[in-house]
Amino acid sequence: MATGGGAYSYSLTVFSPSGKLVQIEHALAAVSQGTTSLGIKATNGIVIATEKKSSSILIDDSMIERVAVVCPNIGIVYSGMGPDFRLLVTKARKSAQAYWKIYGEYPPTKVLTQEIANIMQQATQSGGVRPYGVSLLVAGWDVTRGPTLYQVDPSGSFWAWKASAIGKNMVNAKTFLEKRYNDDISLEDAIHTALLTLKEGFEGQMTEKTIEIGVVTVPDPAELEAGKVEGTGRFKPTFRKLTEEEVRDYLSL
Amino acid sequence: MSIMQYNGGSVIAMVGKDCVAIASDLRLGVQSLSISANYQKIFPITDRIYVGLPGLGTDVTTLHEQFRYRVNMYTIKEEREIEPQTFAQLVSSTLYERRFGPYFIEPVVAGMQKLPTGGFAPFIAATDLIGCLNFAKDFVVAGTASEKLFGVAEGLWEPDLEAEDLFETISQTLLNAVDRDAFSGWGAVVHVITKDKVVTRTLKGRMD
Amino acid sequence: MASPSVYNGSGFDFSNVTRNSFLEGRGLPLPKATSTGTTIVGCVYRDGIVLGADTRATEGPIVADKNCEKIHYIADNIRCCGAGTAADTEFTTALIASNMEMHALSTGRKPRVVTAMTMLKQMLFRYQGHIGAALVLGGVDATGPQLFTIHPHGSTDKLPYVTMGSGSLAAMAVFESGWKPDMSREEALALVAAAISAGIFNDLGSGSNVDACVITATQTDFLRGFVKPNERVEKERRYVFKRGTTAWKKEEIKNLVVSETVVGHGEQMDVS
Repeated sequence: MATGGGAYSYSLTVFSPSGKLVQIEHALAAVSQGTTSLGIKATNGIVIATEKKSSSILIDDSMIERVAVVCPNIGIVYSGMGPDFRLLVTKARKSAQAYWKIYGEYPPTKVLTQEIANIMQQATQSGGVRPYGVSLLVAGWDVTRGPTLYQVDPSGSFWAWKASAIGKNMVNAKTFLEKRYNDDISLEDAIHTALLTLKEGFEGQMTEKTIEIGVVTVPDPAELEAGKVEGTGRFKPTFRKLTEEEVRDYLSL
Repeated sequence: MSIMQYNGGSVIAMVGKDCVAIASDLRLGVQSLSISANYQKIFPITDRIYVGLPGLGTDVTTLHEQFRYRVNMYTIKEEREIEPQTFAQLVSSTLYERRFGPYFIEPVVAGMQKLPTGGFAPFIAATDLIGCLNFAKDFVVAGTASEKLFGVAEGLWEPDLEAEDLFETISQTLLNAVDRDAFSGWGAVVHVITKDKVVTRTLKGRMD
Repeated sequence: MASPSVYNGSGFDFSNVTRNSFLEGRGLPLPKATSTGTTIVGCVYRDGIVLGADTRATEGPIVADKNCEKIHYIADNIRCCGAGTAADTEFTTALIASNMEMHALSTGRKPRVVTAMTMLKQMLFRYQGHIGAALVLGGVDATGPQLFTIHPHGSTDKLPYVTMGSGSLAAMAVFESGWKPDMSREEALALVAAAISAGIFNDLGSGSNVDACVITATQTDFLRGFVKPNERVEKERRYVFKRGTTAWKKEEIKNLVVSETVVGHGEQMDVS
């Protein structure tokens, strides 16, 4: 056998005698080789941010998307394997739209996170497939739970976080966040903390081209009172990606 | 005779000031033969949502079960109670799923909607048998007496009725409308929903 | 792989069809769904598109809804007026709005009107006219202002001014005599309001108010109740019954606020 897992390292649906599913641990290893991503929950919103590094200057980096909008109130970022993420984003978007078609509203963050987690879990006990090689940070706002931030791992387990980091630099980033985080941090401060955390262990120049940021904004009471935008049957979006100009402005501060 | 008239029955819902009311007759018949004078057509969905299901008797049972199942699944999965607006959407999409083989039911939803800013707002809605929603600000009607209910309600309803006045208005509207409908009547039930209580009253009606 | 989601239910369920056609065969005719008799129109003007609709929904000869919305959202820059079976227009436009949002997310571009038009006509053609939606689709995209009509069988037209629904003839008469190229926003809105009014007053399937929607390259203004020529006058008398008019046999009160009183019980805990 090739590696340490022995006979148990190939069939992912077979437990090793020590109770491990080795392929899932390998998937986590793939995640920890991915670029760092992080999320911070603030009092009035959430920020998710990530490095967007390309291996060559010849790559058109405007094509790379690492922070994705799932539906108007939820966005996700990942560390790990890009193609796996793209597939999960498509599935998550379809799930959100299917929910909308039944209930006339977009899913709460927890429900959507659960949907994604279920998809990832199924890849851990189905034949002929491998686990997804990504960890996700799901950030969103809903009327029941307000702003919430979840992390989903290749095993399909998920937790809610006040702040978390995944990927290559996650250990250092988490230590940094633990020091910096407090319960009454504002969204603006959270964005700056996110940038500072990314800067730790960032290789090369941090510019609007090499990072991506998404924010959840909590609607104020007036917006809540106003309800749906007339004629659209929809609420104002609460998740959006920052434009390159906005990222540049935050970096220059 | 249409399938909608086979078992008979009518439902009406009205908006008041910080309250809603939903009422139905109690008849179950087979064409012109009356079978029961205590047939339930209005069902509680949550504490603050009631749904009226006038139409073909067999589908009253089937749809009630189906809504109960879907709402229970929602409550468990989302760890929250469904709101009237969301429930109305669920009713609508459930019916449209069977666009080409519908249930013969025209549901009426009434409830108090929890507002994101706190507090409650009255909510009523009705759909046709394939799920086209009608959100009204005043009243909605359905069933074999719907034409008569439209007429009487149009005359009697007015905005901002207190719970007790709304009870009188909806009761008189229903009783007088079903008296002119051969397929509805034989007693009535009225639910008046406010933010902190539901008053259910059974009314006496003509038994002919 | 089994579907992990309960939200994947798609397509129609035909399991009641056999029963229903049996009942129909036994001489119990199938009931009519709500239809929107309807006058809906759209026209191109200098800066974009104006769409218009009446607000009456009918069930046979009964007015089921006096103020319904017939201008449906497709995307921020695209709207769609619907005539025909009300549920069909509602759900068809919702489905396409959902698909357009998915499309916009995956392409990263602002959606185009032709895309929505193609999705709609392909869907309606697939259902061979059984989905009774007659639509006026309008919007402004990268290729400029676009206006289409889509018939229930899936055929489409692209014209500078269009009408649909039972009041389409009345509305078209107004357009034919009044439309001119390069109108201003005010002129276009007035013409659309006149066309819908022609439907409201001359077609029994249309009534109540005029809704309008102005779409330009930069913004979309939805003008709900743009003209209200049929406002109900306030009742001169009140018809409130004296409390106690209606006798009831039985009363049940369900209290939703649970009050709780804590009663001291047993010995006090020693906290000294």
